[in-house]
Amino acid sequence: MTAAAITFSGVTCRYGRRTAVDGVDLDVAAGEHVALTGANGSGKTTLLRAALGLYPTTTGSITVGGRPAVTGAEWARRRRDVAWVPQRLAPGRFPLLVDELLDSGGNPVAARAAAAQLDVAGLGSRPLHTLSGGQLQRVFLARALGAVAAGARALFADEPTAALDFHGQEQVAALLAALPVTVVVVSHDRAMSRACDRVAEMAAGKLRLV
Amino acid sequence: MDGFLDLLTLPAVQRSAIGLLIAAVGLPIVGVFIIGLDIIAVRFAMMHVALLGIAVGLLIGVDPMLCGLLACAIAGAGVAPLAHRPTGLPGAMGLLMTFAIAAALLVLSVSGVNATGAFELLWGSILATRDVDLIILGALTVVVHVLFWRWRRQLALLLFDREIALCSGVAAGPLLLALLVVVAVAIGASIRLTGALLVDALTILPALGARNLGRSLRSMVLWAIALGVTGNSIGFVVALLLDQPPGPVLVLVAGTLTLLTYLIPEGARDAIDPGHRVDRGGDPVPAGQRL
Repeated sequence: MTAAAITFSGVTCRYGRRTAVDGVDLDVAAGEHVALTGANGSGKTTLLRAALGLYPTTTGSITVGGRPAVTGAEWARRRRDVAWVPQRLAPGRFPLLVDELLDSGGNPVAARAAAAQLDVAGLGSRPLHTLSGGQLQRVFLARALGAVAAGARALFADEPTAALDFHGQEQVAALLAALPVTVVVVSHDRAMSRACDRVAEMAAGKLRLV
Repeated sequence: MDGFLDLLTLPAVQRSAIGLLIAAVGLPIVGVFIIGLDIIAVRFAMMHVALLGIAVGLLIGVDPMLCGLLACAIAGAGVAPLAHRPTGLPGAMGLLMTFAIAAALLVLSVSGVNATGAFELLWGSILATRDVDLIILGALTVVVHVLFWRWRRQLALLLFDREIALCSGVAAGPLLLALLVVVAVAIGASIRLTGALLVDALTILPALGARNLGRSLRSMVLWAIALGVTGNSIGFVVALLLDQPPGPVLVLVAGTLTLLTYLIPEGARDAIDPGHRVDRGGDPVPAGQRL
């Protein structure tokens, strides 16, 4: 597995007339771990979602491993290259078993091992809507670690410790810090920020290094 | 009892029984898709879209029912891009419903075709099932089962959360398109075959009950089929025994079964779920293989 460099060049995203991300330039070196901080609504989540093709960019480009994504095939490759822990941990509109979610990362064995490491082993046959917020967050993280084991070269985690207790926050920060791939993590958690190589802060859609 | 047995020897009754059995195996899966996509209004929308297709068929002199089904397929495909809008598919169904009925009435008026005649083409009855209807129902059931069993993992993720599905390598757009076309055509055809009232008993009601009992998409589908077969069998036998029209009796039986599922406590559902011990969404995906 080779970590991938990620480049955001002049990225702007708009929600109607409101600019959520405003001309963001950011280079993340291969294997580097960057924490993205900032007030709620400052554009952090939108920036990561844009990199995954889940929200359209108005202008600018985002490359992962030097590759842009425009066509459907390129976006599919991007989503294989980048494991994702979403912020919105809604248990979904429809029943899905924990094991089904873990399998979807691409490496069920690794995802189950990660689940055990994150203290959520044995929940496999439970529907996601029966889990607590913290359990749900750990399961999504285990899925992403499965995706990394399946070959993803970067990981985007959007507030991966928001629903966790102090022990869980430290546990996840240590897990992410040990990952040999490029990591961009949105977090308000200081332990997580300290574990990263660099901290970038967003304010009103713009980026500044801290 | 003799009268009941005599009724069972009638070809029309035999065809109805076979039709209900086939429908009970296939249409509840369509109902599960409908609940998953949150488009319960699809029956009303497709009824009006089929009417528009029938009106166009009558106007241009092409088989009206074929035009009706084609209109349903096009409408199903047409609303797929609206799934990601803020109002989503439920909003699209409302739009489709009002747009289609207005267009249908206009076409009927322009063509001078009797509107009542066009409506009558849409109202089927399970007791009037023909051999060709059984073939159409059978084909629909096969298509629905192939769609579900071939792509059940992808469907489970798509119905759970489109973005998670996308990030798991699921071709969410084409799969959603296929799902909507199959649902639209199945509903359009079922209305003609069984009548509008029965469509709910055959699709939505078993799926609603299954939503209360199932812990995963797979177990929901199994529950929906079980409820469909049970409801249709009991309903049809009761209708024959009481010498009453099967449509309302089938709906009342299916509705009662669905109501009973609401009475089962949350804690007891694990114990009765056929998939609780063995259902882990099927075999795990092999390491390194994306969905």
